[in-house]
Amino acid sequence: MAQLQAMKGAGSQNEPPMDEAAEDLGGRTRPQWFAEGARQAMSGPMLVVAVSLLSVGGLARDAGFSVEIAVASTILLWAGPAQVLFFGAVAAKTSWPAIAFTISLSSVRFVPMVVSLLPMLRTRRTGLPTLMLAAHCIAVTVWAEGIRRIPLVPRDARLAFFFGFAFICFLGTSISTAIGYVLIGELPRPLAAGLLFMTPIYFVATLTRNAKRPIDRWALVLGLALAPLTETFAPRGLDLMVLGLVAGTGAWLIERALDARAAP
Amino acid sequence: MSEALDHGLWPWAALILFGFLPSEIWRMISVFLARGIDESSPWLAWVRAVATALLAGVVGKLLLSPNGALATLPLWGRVGPLAVGMIAFFLIRRSLFAAILAGEAAIIAVGYWAN
Repeated sequence: MAQLQAMKGAGSQNEPPMDEAAEDLGGRTRPQWFAEGARQAMSGPMLVVAVSLLSVGGLARDAGFSVEIAVASTILLWAGPAQVLFFGAVAAKTSWPAIAFTISLSSVRFVPMVVSLLPMLRTRRTGLPTLMLAAHCIAVTVWAEGIRRIPLVPRDARLAFFFGFAFICFLGTSISTAIGYVLIGELPRPLAAGLLFMTPIYFVATLTRNAKRPIDRWALVLGLALAPLTETFAPRGLDLMVLGLVAGTGAWLIERALDARAAP
Repeated sequence: MSEALDHGLWPWAALILFGFLPSEIWRMISVFLARGIDESSPWLAWVRAVATALLAGVVGKLLLSPNGALATLPLWGRVGPLAVGMIAFFLIRRSLFAAILAGEAAIIAVGYWAN
């Protein structure tokens, strides 16, 4: 019942009302929704996330790991920055507990992403193992694309769509990690810089496109504007979390203030 | 790196113990945190704003303290192409493809010019 009320909530106006008795798959089967998710991932997002993981392969090789470990790090960690940290720290002969600690700090950022995406994905019937698998698939690209695409999919079809989308992203990045392992050292420097630049330009453009409401725009602008400050003043390793909390809360407060003024 | 890394199960154990588990624990904690929240909760707007700001921060960090080949470019050479990409984005029907194409062209040009 809570879910029915949720469907009528302010944040979910795109959704059709849900019939509790029958499953609403929007006239398609689950495999068809899986394929639809896969198709949408192939139309762009997969390429971007694949390109952004090319450099991880090169880093793994520099740190002395095999190509299998490089690809496994993509599938298991599913977090570009954590992989960069891991291989970079091993190459710098950092102690293992310190590596584990830094990686754990960098992955705290998944908390708001998973907490905001899972409620869109699950139905009352979704079991814990499925939720855990879905949580594992969430990383920045899947989150940024998912938050925009998932509301357009009927609720009962969302997990199938999501897993299709994520599957293609995993497949593409696994291949690109292996390609990067073999190739990245051979690239001319300006082209290598171009590959690394893919992530920043893609995220800024996709977040701007996602930003339909003022709160999203404020979070984006404050996040970018405050980055130099937290980079300098926040404790190392925690700077992103501090930035997210400060800029996100700021955006939320601004929207509330604007709403209060707009209300009669 | 040491010979120990080239052989046997140690690299796998290292990846799982010091990479996978410390990272994955946050996703699993989040599964439980997400349990009590439904889609219309006002908290969700806040959580989402935090996630968006975090992502913007990831971009800021990549541009401010880059690694690898990006680090060989001056700061203006990283921020400028971002601006070029976003101008293309707004000029050409808010197209992601235009943003990436223009930004990439700009940074590769800067790379060849600066080196």
